[in-house]
Amino acid sequence: MSAGVGVDLENLWIRFGDFVAVRDANVNINGGDFFSFLGPSGCGKTTILRAVSGFLEPSEGNVLIGGNNMKGIGPNKRPTALIFQNLALFPLMKVWENITFSMEIKGASSAERRKRADELLDMIALPDQGDKLPSELSGGQRQRVAIARALCAEPDVLLLDEPLSALDLKLRQHMRTELREIQKRVGITFIYITHDQGEALTMSDDIAVMRAGVIDQIADGKTIYNDPSTAFAASFVGENNVFRGKVKQVMGSEALITTNRSGDLVARISTANQGKMKEGDEAMMFIRPEAFAIAPDGVTGDHFVTASVTHEEFEGNVFNIFTEGEGGKEIKVSIPNLGQSFESHTGQAITLEYETRNAVVVPAGELAAE
Amino acid sequence: MNTSFLRISVWVYLAIFFAYLLGPLVIMSITAFNSSEFPRATPWECLTFDWFSALFQDQRILNGIKNSLIIGLGTVVLSVAMGLAGALMLTQIWPKLRASYYTIIIAPILIPGVVLGISTLVFWDRINRFLGLGADSFLSNGIFLTVIGQSTFIASYCMLVLVARLQRYDVALTEAALDLGATHAQAFRKILLPFMRPAIASAAVLAFLASFENYNTTTFTFGEYPTLTIELAQKVRYGITPAISALAFIIVVLTVFFALLNEASIKRKEVVAAARRQATVGEVTGKVRLPGFFTGNAAAVVLVVFAIATISVVGTATVYSPAQCIADVKEQKRLEAEKRIQELRKKREEQRKQREAEQAEQAEQGEAQQSAPKPSNNSGFGNVFAPNTLSGEGEDDVPDTDTDEQPSGGNGGFGGAFDPNSLQSPSE
Amino acid sequence: MPGFLKEFLNRNGTGMGLAILGLVLFWTIGLIILPQLSMLDFSFRPNLPPPEIGGPKDVYTLENYKYLVYGPEGGSQDYNVVDLRIFFRTLIAAVCVTIFNLILCYPIAYYLGQTKGNHIRVFALMLIIPYWINEILRAFALRIIFGETGVLNTVLVGVGIFDTPFDFIRNDIALYAGLGYAYILLMIFPIYNVIESLDHNQIEAARDLGAPWWRIHWRVVVPYAKPGISSGCTMVFMLSAGALAAPQILGGPSSLWFTQLIYQQFNDNNDWPQGAAYAIVLLVTCILFVLAVMRLFKVNMGDIGK
Repeated sequence: MSAGVGVDLENLWIRFGDFVAVRDANVNINGGDFFSFLGPSGCGKTTILRAVSGFLEPSEGNVLIGGNNMKGIGPNKRPTALIFQNLALFPLMKVWENITFSMEIKGASSAERRKRADELLDMIALPDQGDKLPSELSGGQRQRVAIARALCAEPDVLLLDEPLSALDLKLRQHMRTELREIQKRVGITFIYITHDQGEALTMSDDIAVMRAGVIDQIADGKTIYNDPSTAFAASFVGENNVFRGKVKQVMGSEALITTNRSGDLVARISTANQGKMKEGDEAMMFIRPEAFAIAPDGVTGDHFVTASVTHEEFEGNVFNIFTEGEGGKEIKVSIPNLGQSFESHTGQAITLEYETRNAVVVPAGELAAE
Repeated sequence: MNTSFLRISVWVYLAIFFAYLLGPLVIMSITAFNSSEFPRATPWECLTFDWFSALFQDQRILNGIKNSLIIGLGTVVLSVAMGLAGALMLTQIWPKLRASYYTIIIAPILIPGVVLGISTLVFWDRINRFLGLGADSFLSNGIFLTVIGQSTFIASYCMLVLVARLQRYDVALTEAALDLGATHAQAFRKILLPFMRPAIASAAVLAFLASFENYNTTTFTFGEYPTLTIELAQKVRYGITPAISALAFIIVVLTVFFALLNEASIKRKEVVAAARRQATVGEVTGKVRLPGFFTGNAAAVVLVVFAIATISVVGTATVYSPAQCIADVKEQKRLEAEKRIQELRKKREEQRKQREAEQAEQAEQGEAQQSAPKPSNNSGFGNVFAPNTLSGEGEDDVPDTDTDEQPSGGNGGFGGAFDPNSLQSPSE
Repeated sequence: MPGFLKEFLNRNGTGMGLAILGLVLFWTIGLIILPQLSMLDFSFRPNLPPPEIGGPKDVYTLENYKYLVYGPEGGSQDYNVVDLRIFFRTLIAAVCVTIFNLILCYPIAYYLGQTKGNHIRVFALMLIIPYWINEILRAFALRIIFGETGVLNTVLVGVGIFDTPFDFIRNDIALYAGLGYAYILLMIFPIYNVIESLDHNQIEAARDLGAPWWRIHWRVVVPYAKPGISSGCTMVFMLSAGALAAPQILGGPSSLWFTQLIYQQFNDNNDWPQGAAYAIVLLVTCILFVLAVMRLFKVNMGDIGK
């Protein structure tokens, strides 16, 4: 898979006046990878993409594509192609002209362009649609035309700026699979920008989680989900129950946390923070809703919290049970729907068990906004 | 208040308004076909097309049209270019400067045309002198000065038209083109310019019309190159003839024609777009059968009727000769005038007889009374020769020396019957 | 600010950026600002034959402005009564024309803006077509109508309202009608643009609450249309006060327009500095007047031209 061209960001800073949009970003993206920048809107991920594609000069630091420093090289000279959030298909050009615009720039003949357009239209499963105008296509079709147009330029790196955000849910899920397949087929590096953790997790080889201009964690999807290195990463990716507290005792890779409201609980220190946490540190402990198990009455394991059920939701694949722990602490629990008959627990006190490997401790920090 | 009364009053108001707006143009157009030597619709004398041939033999008018076209072309190019640059700058200028910048580029619309003309003249004259160039240099050339002077404010109009469309432009399109390898110039030419084309076309038409009809600025800058408007103003100020009505009629016809053509083509595009959309919903074919030009296009129908009417009028004009009618009217007028003279003579005769009878008593008094009407007539056009206001109508009341066959003593509005062809000369 | 400049060139490309910048600078500085300043400077100089320009006699003087107020030195009167009267008459007449146009055009703009249907397109076309006809020809058309033996007099005498033809030109009626006529579109369009965006439901709601039609206009439509009204009034006032063609063609023999005085200074008297001074006086007075009225009615400059 390392046939593609890698992209490196070295000590990248981007400022607009006094505002720091990107703060000291260091990222190494392997050639041929599907790499995502994941973060809420305004975190600077689009700014990074614009710096890679050449629309922005970094204030400090370097962008390297295939090991070459891109300083002073304009967007039209970089081996990148960008798929815009709104796709930016040229409204007055027919589909085939849109797709082969990069060839028109190089002076290719009309016949050559037609031929190449037909090949690409076949690839994106839109044969015989070349003579339409973009406005005559559906959202998903436009999406694919934008991809074909970018691929026609034969870039080493394809940059995608939240291209699926305008599509409806079903189409979005379908396009995820399709994008991943196209990426595998063409084998070039994809850099994908999204605020949707589902997109990032399903498609990416690696993900960078960003917050307010800072990259919190770079890892593959599983690691980020299971072993977040910051409070932000833990709370932004997937749902999580957070318990604030202080480290009471460090026991190897585990720690005993005195939580503010739920007593002393044991949890695993996340990999990135092992050896860095000590007694008395402010800490946050995260347990995913699905990591809890409702203990049978009276039976208690080593690690549990007690709470009373306030209300329940049925989501189809899971039951969501909202509980209130000691001191009004809200805890959400998700139980997979396996056909078990579920009588309502509302009002009851229950015991929620967890395993220490599913409870993660990180230093206290900013959480993602709901 | 009663709704039907309200509705009727709205329509009455609209009728009065449009009568005020269009009436003068209609009446002016009618006068182009009346053989009367002074442009008027009443009384109707004879249907004639001679004013058109008179118009096309007028070298000053033809020369004015030529100058207007040259200047119009230059103004269109310069003001559309400056307007587009100004609009592009407006969309990306530093926010703190935007308000002042906008005020500067919008100001020429509000500055009186004479002020723009004078400032252009004074400034370039000074530059010319500063560079040590003579009076015949390029910078003091009437065409250059007029194009510059007109473009100063016409560019503002263009800017307003262009910025309206530019605001709907997605900058991502230019970025996409750059990203796909285009240079800035290529992105401008292949993406932004096609997008702006409709607005550029509107701006160009607007600029040309504004240039073509401009008087206030041009009157200070034209130098050796009077435009059509300048020539017209000279003519209108110093004696008017129906040949001007004929020119106005041509301009009205052309304007209506192009307005209808534009309407029809807009409508046609709408129809084609609708058909295309339908076709894509249904079976997918590469080609869309274009619907007939006239389907659901009232403007196109009117356009064709209009064109046929024009052609038939021009056709009639080539074979029609009003000579007989004009001769009749002339004869009739001659008879009328003669009759009046006869009457006058009779009256004088009677008066003479009366006077002779009364002579013994009041000889002096009687004569004074008789000559009284004449001085009052003269005083009527005495002021007419005041500067700048020499009125063509006044001339009509004056017993004209070279055309008047019968020195009529009457005050009749159309004292003389004139051969229309003899009219090109007195208009100067 | 070189940072801004660098960013501008980066965004537009060096060649395109310089072209845009060059055109904008040529227009704003070369065509708008410098000529006005040059005229201002010129108006403070004496009228000299070309060889003496830049010579020892070429000094700044207030002579040209004094002339407008006091007339020629050693003149028979203390003040330049003739020119001053023309100046104020022009301003007052321009205000009258503006008010007349506003009253005439507001109902039309309201009707066009709030009515839906195909006939509105036809009306719009009928509005625009006269505007495409030459200004001189439009004045000429009115001259034909208002002439002593014109259509209007023929009709009025025929009906029996007047015994003898009425001299519309000498009484300046033709001039006011012509000035109003020339700028109808400039009044209608800005008002129409604003009123078109007024939600008809607001009017319905006001009517529903029992407001009479004049109150609906006074309380709902006019306040909403204020930017358009001020824009239209400003343009009509400035253009009427600065009009030259209509007064020359339609004006009575005894009443001149101020622009005609400027024209005479340039073309007949060949006194350019004097003409420039008069032009400056006209421009500055008009701008101050418009700004004062705009302040009175609390309108912003930014609304003009929208």
